[in-house]
Amino acid sequence: MREAVIVETVRSPGGRYKRGGLAQTRGDEIGIQVLKGLMEKVPQVKHEDVDDVICGCSFPEGEQGMNLGRVIALGAEFPVTTSGMTVNRFCSSGLQAIADATAKIGAGWSDIIIAGGCESMSHIPMGGWIFRPHPDWGDLPMTYVSMGVTAENVAADYGITREDQDKMGLESNRRAHEATKKGLWKDQIIPIDAWKYQKDRDGQWVKKTAVFDMDDGVRWPVTLENMAKLKPPFKQGGSVTAANSSQMTDGAAFTMIMSAEKADELGLNPIAKLTHYAVVGNKPEEMGVGPLYAIPKVLKLAGLKIKDIDLFEINEAFAAQAIYCCRELGIEKRYWKGEVNPNGGAIAIGHPLGCTGAKLSCQLLHEMKRRKVKRGIVSMCIGGGMGAAGIYEML
Amino acid sequence: MSYKIKKAAIIGAGVMGATIAAHLANAGIESVMLDIVPPFDPSEADLKKGLTKESKAWRNSFAINGLNGTVKSRPASFYSKKFASMITIGNLEDDLDLLKDVDFLLEVVVENIKIKQDLFAKVLKITKPDCIIATNTSGIPIKEISSNMSEKDKERFLGVHFFNPPRYMKLVELIPDETTKKEIVDYMTYFLEDVVGKGVVVCKDVPNFIANRIGVFDISNAVKTMIDKGLTIPELDAIIAKVLGRPGSAICGTIDLVGIDTGYHVMKNLVEAVPDDEMIDTFKPPEFMDKMVKNKWLGNKTRGGFYKKTKDEKGKRVKLALDYKKMEYVPFKKPKYESVKEAGKTEGGFDDKLKSLFYSEKDIAGEVVRGYLCRNFIYSANRIPEICDTVYQVDNTMKWGYNHRKGPFETWDAVGIKESVEVMKKLKMKIPKKITEMLKKGCETFYTKKEDGKYYYDFDKKDYVKMEDNPKIILLPDLKAKNKVIKKNVGASLVDIGDGVACLEFNTKMNAIDGDIISMMYDSCDIVEKDFAGMVVANHGTNFSVGANIFQVLIAVQNAEWDILDKLIYELQYANMRMKYLEKPVVTAPAGMALGGGCEISIHGQRCQPCGETYMGLVEVGVGVIPAGGGCKELMVRCTEGLPEGTAEVLNMQPIYEKVLMNIGQAKVATSAVEAMELGYIRKTENVSLSRDHQIWDAKELVLGMAKTHKKKKPDMIPVMGESLMGIAHAVLYNMKHGNYMSDYDEHVTMKLAWVLSGGQCMEGTFVTEDAILDREREAFLSLAGEQKTQDRIMHMLTKGRPLRN
Repeated sequence: MREAVIVETVRSPGGRYKRGGLAQTRGDEIGIQVLKGLMEKVPQVKHEDVDDVICGCSFPEGEQGMNLGRVIALGAEFPVTTSGMTVNRFCSSGLQAIADATAKIGAGWSDIIIAGGCESMSHIPMGGWIFRPHPDWGDLPMTYVSMGVTAENVAADYGITREDQDKMGLESNRRAHEATKKGLWKDQIIPIDAWKYQKDRDGQWVKKTAVFDMDDGVRWPVTLENMAKLKPPFKQGGSVTAANSSQMTDGAAFTMIMSAEKADELGLNPIAKLTHYAVVGNKPEEMGVGPLYAIPKVLKLAGLKIKDIDLFEINEAFAAQAIYCCRELGIEKRYWKGEVNPNGGAIAIGHPLGCTGAKLSCQLLHEMKRRKVKRGIVSMCIGGGMGAAGIYEML
Repeated sequence: MSYKIKKAAIIGAGVMGATIAAHLANAGIESVMLDIVPPFDPSEADLKKGLTKESKAWRNSFAINGLNGTVKSRPASFYSKKFASMITIGNLEDDLDLLKDVDFLLEVVVENIKIKQDLFAKVLKITKPDCIIATNTSGIPIKEISSNMSEKDKERFLGVHFFNPPRYMKLVELIPDETTKKEIVDYMTYFLEDVVGKGVVVCKDVPNFIANRIGVFDISNAVKTMIDKGLTIPELDAIIAKVLGRPGSAICGTIDLVGIDTGYHVMKNLVEAVPDDEMIDTFKPPEFMDKMVKNKWLGNKTRGGFYKKTKDEKGKRVKLALDYKKMEYVPFKKPKYESVKEAGKTEGGFDDKLKSLFYSEKDIAGEVVRGYLCRNFIYSANRIPEICDTVYQVDNTMKWGYNHRKGPFETWDAVGIKESVEVMKKLKMKIPKKITEMLKKGCETFYTKKEDGKYYYDFDKKDYVKMEDNPKIILLPDLKAKNKVIKKNVGASLVDIGDGVACLEFNTKMNAIDGDIISMMYDSCDIVEKDFAGMVVANHGTNFSVGANIFQVLIAVQNAEWDILDKLIYELQYANMRMKYLEKPVVTAPAGMALGGGCEISIHGQRCQPCGETYMGLVEVGVGVIPAGGGCKELMVRCTEGLPEGTAEVLNMQPIYEKVLMNIGQAKVATSAVEAMELGYIRKTENVSLSRDHQIWDAKELVLGMAKTHKKKKPDMIPVMGESLMGIAHAVLYNMKHGNYMSDYDEHVTMKLAWVLSGGQCMEGTFVTEDAILDREREAFLSLAGEQKTQDRIMHMLTKGRPLRN
């Protein structure tokens, strides 16, 4: 196998669902602008040198339909010869895209691939525009279960208290606020010319653009007292609330991967490589426990122990499942030491579904570079009952 | 008519001003609502929010808060929250220009004559010369407010006094000054009655007008009676209560609602305003009320007045009542009076029950009622002609403004004038001369019916005078008395309401739908098709219909008479279909509650003329069944009709059918006719009658209009989602059940509903017949009716009056 290396990784800022900075911008447009931003950061690579664009997307329909990978490649002015595809493994789609690209390059089938994810949750509803569960499945809808209900199941079945969930919710926001204040995101964020539909003086609707360059979901200051007042929407008497769940978010993130030889030839300094990747299935009705199975599986593949990993990004789909996974993996203390989700997670800066795997990878790699550490893991639970995990090694 | 109010201005955005603006919006009138710029500086918290002394949001904050409060108010002030956009807000310094084009300006500011005069001086410079100018004062004489106005302005100035809450209280007092143009009084009467849907009483310009003069006396009289007779607060409220036709909150509960301070000040003001009133001592607030105001025990708004709701050590809710002698709260115990109980059980109507209590010697309650009512009677009689000239004005005012079931003179008629005068003599009360004269003339009631209509006794003319008929008020009982019944049975009648239009009226208890009503529906359709221009379905009941008679259903189920039940449902379905496809126009006119079967009949009219206050919904799941009188079917029609040809086959109908599923599955009841349109029960193109009095006339006019070009409707075909809907329902309900929002049985019932709505095992976008859905309705209904949990739900509803969640 050839070595496939990452030379650059970027993301758009996360825009809050319906009310945030990207709420009126089409999903494909966000993807196009991030691709353009990535290409500008690596001027050594010419557009025609990029073989393929692989885009993760959880609800690839409507404006993010028609094979989003191909649409945004053309939109970002790649030549017609650059191919494109869309992959969907729900919340791990972005990581899956990077894994697929790495494997393709490793196999020698491609030299340069851009992989990542793109999702506008403001525009395409969860469940998609046309939701058609199988009528013969009766009252066992399995993979169609609402994500909130699965989080309540995890909280109830494994005894994750409301207090613990809220504490993680607060910590996530605190970390994201600190990171924003320190300007830690600067190197990874591509500012977006976001669309805004406004009424002009004559009362006619017109499209304007405004630069959007900061995650806008961070809620700070917040207090545990205020968080405790929120009602759990998914279950009467439940514990999962807006303050301890991931935010619905719009965004895109892309990574450029190429063979080590190609990087050398172009004079590029590789940052890291994805050494191993694993996906595993679990019960749909408690989909949140996915990382608990995926991380051991990927560690086994790599012949590593969890202590060999310096930094983690474990998606905070819900605090309930994130806490449970950390607890069972024996890394809950490391979470509080800042070695898991060091700059805050999806509770604060959002979970743009198909983009999340690419976004977390981007965040992890930049933070590993800053901390000068060697190995990191990106992992997440996946709707329908799965977990995915990937190991990155810095070069 | 030279006046026309298209746009109004409300000055003062307090609760009253904002809720009046809201009801004008309900009537389709846009308005401008202005209030003062806050006379203080923004607080630290305001500044943090970005408000500054100059910012528009700060300068308009009174009006903004008024409007926001109204949008959230309960009971709702708007028919639909969307109507809030019909109100433009501003302040009295920057936005006076907005008043330039208004046709009607109503002042609803603080009760201070100087402030009102200054305000009018300011706005009269801006408004159009023909803009009608009014004050909503509840007591200040109109001529004092207008004393500084020019003669020209006085001509278009009058008092327009709404009652709180304006959407729900029928009364508006209209108080012209001597200088007000008659045309304006006439136009405003028309506007308030026909457009805004209110009941107008024209008053004389005297302190407190009619309602708050008689009403405040009524309350003061009750409180004084309580003190004189040594009753406790709960005792008073147990006597002067429902049996006398008073609202459920009775006397003290009502004052708690209004506010002790408000009541106290109104009493005090009246003492100053009418120094020559013979009952002035009664108006003086008792000592304990002074203390209550000082202690700030002001009623519900301070969570404690005459009554107080609190929690004991165990956290259990307890109700306390004030012991006004010791000025402390003691546990509330519902007092029981044999006489009150007996009155309640007296056979006959309201009058008989009232009479029973009035003459009862069983316990103190009879004595209290006699003293209290006789003082009310005499006081009211003595106020004519001081506050108005006729008895019916006083009666209407108390019914419409204070929610009394009968006004004082009607109540007097009920207990008998002659007999009560004997009681008054025994109590050593001074009988008004006009009453003695009246009795001497042999006139023993204030109201009487003659062949040509209703008459009232006029004190000035000393004789009966005919009450004017309003052609827009069609009264079915009057028509029935005039032999206008075309056909009737125990449950319903078909009445000739003139001009070739017949009206189908329900007569069962709470207008519950039963076999009699259904058979009358068929008969009426046959008769109307043959001999009439069209039909209105309406009644005067508080509720159009609360639904099917579930007792009948339960009996049939318990006797396993499935064929009978199937036939009953079938007959309701096809009675509705008969109306829908009649060769003559049929207009339904729901008002009040139109639930279950009542909703099904309402939506099967070819057109609908709902009253603004229509509370409509298909609530069958509450008793464990699904709508089976065509309700599912017609709501499916309603929500899919109007789709252009060729679209239903390719359209994603999921949001449409989810709406239908949730409306019925969660038993959603609209809180107004407009909300019923938003939920899909009534077509958005229908007109709403704001006045319940005029509703039957409106519906009749609609029938006559339709009759000119009427053609029998072509059968509807309904686009359905087939099996896809079953999958969606399973997934949606699974989540609701696991979130504890639904019981297993709720899910079961709702799945049956989804099965009906799916239309069958077919492809999405298939068109099915109405009959196909009606068959499914019946099948689902019968299968659910056979289940124990459904029968438990029906039984619970019959015995407890509320739904069971099992």
